[in-house]
Amino acid sequence: MTLTAWLFALPFVVLFLVFMAGPIVGSLVMSFTDMTTRDLQTPFQVDIVGVDNYVRLFQDPRFLRSLLNTFTFVVVAVPLTMALALAVALALDKGIRRFRTVYRVGFYTPVVTSIVAIAIVWRFILQPDGLLNGFLGLFGIQGPDWLQSTTWALPSLIAMAVWRNIGTLMVIFLAALQGVPREHHEAAMVDGANAWQRFWNITIPAMRPAILFSAVITGIGFLQFFEEPFVMTRGGPLDSTLSAAMYTFQQFGFGNYAYASAASYVLFLAIVVLALIQFRLLGRKED
Amino acid sequence: MTRTAARKTSRWTAIGAVTLVGALALAGCGRSDEGGGAGGDSAGEAIDDSPATGELTVWAMGNEGEVLDELVGQFEEENPDVSVEVTAVPWESAHDRIATAIAGGETPDITMLGTTWVGEFAATGAFEPTPEGLVDESAFFEGSWETAVVDDVAYGVPWYVDTRVLYYRTDLADQAGVEPPTTWDEYTEFTKALQSAGATWGVSLPPGGFDSWQYVTPLAWQQGGDILNEDGTEFTFDTPEWEEAFTYYKSFFDEGIAEPRRLEGGEIEQAFINGEVGAFYSGPFHVSLLLDQGGEEFADKFAVTMVPGADSRTSFTGGGNLAVFEDTDNRDAAWKLVRWLSQPETQISWYEISTDLPSVQEAWDDPTFSEDPYLSVFGEQLQDSKAPPAIPTWAQVSAVIDQELEKTTRGETTPADAIATIQQQAQSIGTGK
Repeated sequence: MTLTAWLFALPFVVLFLVFMAGPIVGSLVMSFTDMTTRDLQTPFQVDIVGVDNYVRLFQDPRFLRSLLNTFTFVVVAVPLTMALALAVALALDKGIRRFRTVYRVGFYTPVVTSIVAIAIVWRFILQPDGLLNGFLGLFGIQGPDWLQSTTWALPSLIAMAVWRNIGTLMVIFLAALQGVPREHHEAAMVDGANAWQRFWNITIPAMRPAILFSAVITGIGFLQFFEEPFVMTRGGPLDSTLSAAMYTFQQFGFGNYAYASAASYVLFLAIVVLALIQFRLLGRKED
Repeated sequence: MTRTAARKTSRWTAIGAVTLVGALALAGCGRSDEGGGAGGDSAGEAIDDSPATGELTVWAMGNEGEVLDELVGQFEEENPDVSVEVTAVPWESAHDRIATAIAGGETPDITMLGTTWVGEFAATGAFEPTPEGLVDESAFFEGSWETAVVDDVAYGVPWYVDTRVLYYRTDLADQAGVEPPTTWDEYTEFTKALQSAGATWGVSLPPGGFDSWQYVTPLAWQQGGDILNEDGTEFTFDTPEWEEAFTYYKSFFDEGIAEPRRLEGGEIEQAFINGEVGAFYSGPFHVSLLLDQGGEEFADKFAVTMVPGADSRTSFTGGGNLAVFEDTDNRDAAWKLVRWLSQPETQISWYEISTDLPSVQEAWDDPTFSEDPYLSVFGEQLQDSKAPPAIPTWAQVSAVIDQELEKTTRGETTPADAIATIQQQAQSIGTGK
């Protein structure tokens, strides 16, 4: 009986062990060694250095900077994306009647557009004589060189990431909004609750699972913030947009495999911690 | 309750098992004292002159990967029993693909390499040293031959070269009545004069960021400074030459000659054609780009000249090398192809196919190069151009230079502090030996 079950599960188990668990365990082990490019042909002839890589990471000001950038990015961008996506979903659910499909497609398009195309368009917007500064110029404001300013580069990338991710959350929230029972709203209306009270006491609690799910996937995704700095700034200027994932990528590029693995495990731990916090804060209250 | 406990136990068992497997895997570890890879390698047997036979696989990147087929067709005609398969690899993924191939033991016979990768990959021991007598070392430009040499052993040969010269607007220079600069002082005056003749920026220089070390390092070389000491063991960034190089580079931004903004690919041509930028540094490929985008009449409005200098007029050189893998099944044919690709005649036809500049000096005597107003300048510049040392950690060290250079031009640090930081960080990164 059990054997048959395992036999059926075998295709998955084999694929999982070979392509998922193997590399994951391998890279964890690697992070305790001193492996670099020179060991490519002889990966087992490396020295074990214990937690040296982790100690070095936390002594590297660039890594600490990348953690700070990532943290700032997540703390600002996750709530912002969720709030805007919820607003858009509400508008599409209740407010907007005409051209509803056009709006839905419009907000969802960034999600499915290639980052390369997005990068080109956003460059046009953000360059010193670009669309944004042209627009600001109408009001007599001289805008900065957004992507090459140490102050504005990270906010610019946050704006870009928020814009790219609203679509996904919008779809989830729209579905959740449609699942809020009408009867509850009707009952509340009979009790004399106004629109705001109904939103706060009926809609939001009913959407709690959707909000939790969104917070977790956006949080995990944003902690691995990589594409935007990779195509727009390469982490610059002066590391102001260097994310933890970008830093790890650079270290892999330098051939410091063990060190880069250690950096990615630090990021992994951060993701686990963030997910736990979110479950604790937003999860279903114990009855 | 019991169920949760059981689940917890099994989870801990799993973690324990994983740790155990890890420990077992590591038990076989430990770096051997000889330290494989570069160093002790000696070249294999010499390669004879008989025709090449068998099958060969060659990896080439970018444009080279697309047009190399055309060139090796000629090799196949001369050696009827050989068949060469060219695999085009995109530049972006080339570095990782070579690393993966070496790790997996699935290497091609020959690969093209960025000149700065030789040190890193040679350290893995995956390349075969160039056999004695295969090519004449002195036939190549000195600066580019050095890109193939790691710890006094040559791995492969330089295939094509690339160097930077100064592009400038002749119409603006004439208007201001200045001659192309040869010294640093003249250079500053020259770029200021271009500004007085109407250019917004006298010269375009990256204030920092990826690969900006390629702009500042020649300034140190021009005064006799270098990246490593004579025997290649210590970094020499904390020297007056480097401080002077940083100070001079910074002066262009302080005096408002260079725009404190990095122009991305595509922006520079337009800025130069519409006269916003008076001069910039680049390799040979910009000649045809400018002629394409600026139209035929633009040909009269710009020229190229050797970079201005101090004690010497050294420029940066890069390009592509060819290397043969230790694992090749067809060693003789591989080296024969490499030898054939570094013949002057082959390199001239290669220029016609790919516009890659020959790494062999003799090829430059051909009228294609010696009589061309642009190419002849590149030929002259190649006599005095240098490449960074072939050390495995160069990518990482150069990223530190990029970083500190940006801090300097933005006024967040002084040249003296910048070079001190570079020296200290470079030492902690090490030369990878």
